[in-house]
Amino acid sequence: MSTSATAAAPTAHPHVSVNRPNPVSVGTIVWLASELMFFAGLFAMYFTVRAMMDPAEWAAATELLNVKFAFANTTVLVLSSVTCQAGVVAAERFRPVRTGRLWQVTRWGMNEWITLTFLMGAVFIGGQVYEYTALVHEGVSISSSAFGSVFYLTTGFHGLHVIGGLIAFLFLLGRSFAAKRFGHHEATTAIVTSYYWHFVDVIWLALFAVIYLLQ
Amino acid sequence: MKIEAKLFLLVAPFFVLVGVVYGFAVDWNEPVGYLGFPALAALMAMIGAYLALTARRIDERPEDDEDGEIADGAGEQGVYAPWSWWPLVIGAAAAVTFLGLAVGWWVLYLGFVLGIIGLVGWVFEFSRGQHAH
Repeated sequence: MSTSATAAAPTAHPHVSVNRPNPVSVGTIVWLASELMFFAGLFAMYFTVRAMMDPAEWAAATELLNVKFAFANTTVLVLSSVTCQAGVVAAERFRPVRTGRLWQVTRWGMNEWITLTFLMGAVFIGGQVYEYTALVHEGVSISSSAFGSVFYLTTGFHGLHVIGGLIAFLFLLGRSFAAKRFGHHEATTAIVTSYYWHFVDVIWLALFAVIYLLQ
Repeated sequence: MKIEAKLFLLVAPFFVLVGVVYGFAVDWNEPVGYLGFPALAALMAMIGAYLALTARRIDERPEDDEDGEIADGAGEQGVYAPWSWWPLVIGAAAAVTFLGLAVGWWVLYLGFVLGIIGLVGWVFEFSRGQHAH
């Protein structure tokens, strides 16, 4: 069942033999490719400013970055991709709610996994806000320097995408709770939302590597 | 499905190559080009890889058959909304929100409220009322 839920459009009439790719999944991937170009523009902006700005001034600003805290935050986001995928596996088996107790993680349904993913994403956003306030207190704001501008624009647009993903999770849970019979309609929603979440996660890994590790 | 996958996957290395040539042409001083071209390659590779993975999972489609007939593709194509008013509401919300950027912040909030109504209506259209399942 799991492969047909991912790759194929749901067929109501069993006598139809053609097994087509799910247009929702294909459309999501094509849209995500355009999102990739949006972030490519942000990276290009970051590198251009990096190349143009006075190296001493740049180093003074990057010194203020809390790399350890950002690393912990990154770990939360990466692990949330794992829990999201566990939710998709449950959705592909048409299992919205857990079949055991709350602590029996192996028997969790999609709702439990997606709720956990939502909480981890929310923790990431909370961490971002904490980091922003710390930096503003140190005097790095969006208008203080070119570094401030590119830092807040790149991480800020990524943060907005994470918030968009959180809203998508709420809609996914809403559809799941609204359905008396959890079917292809809900499973497809779970799958394409996970595509988006993994994509935003990968973008963050690139941003983290460039902004915090390469500096 | 394989032909679509190849179409995207074969273009990806070309853009990596163009990025390297561009980099040498500008002595690696202008990052927008030499980063933008590999990003374009990643865009192509992402769609191509997805299509290649999908091609492995599904049957040969009539389009892939040299002797295929139009009639072979008859049947269900996917799930589509027959009609819906909600995209119009979301479009109006987007228009009001952008108007807010030009006119004033208070209009922006009206756009957000309209956007929430439109999104909720659109997302749950086939989960409630006569479509409840």
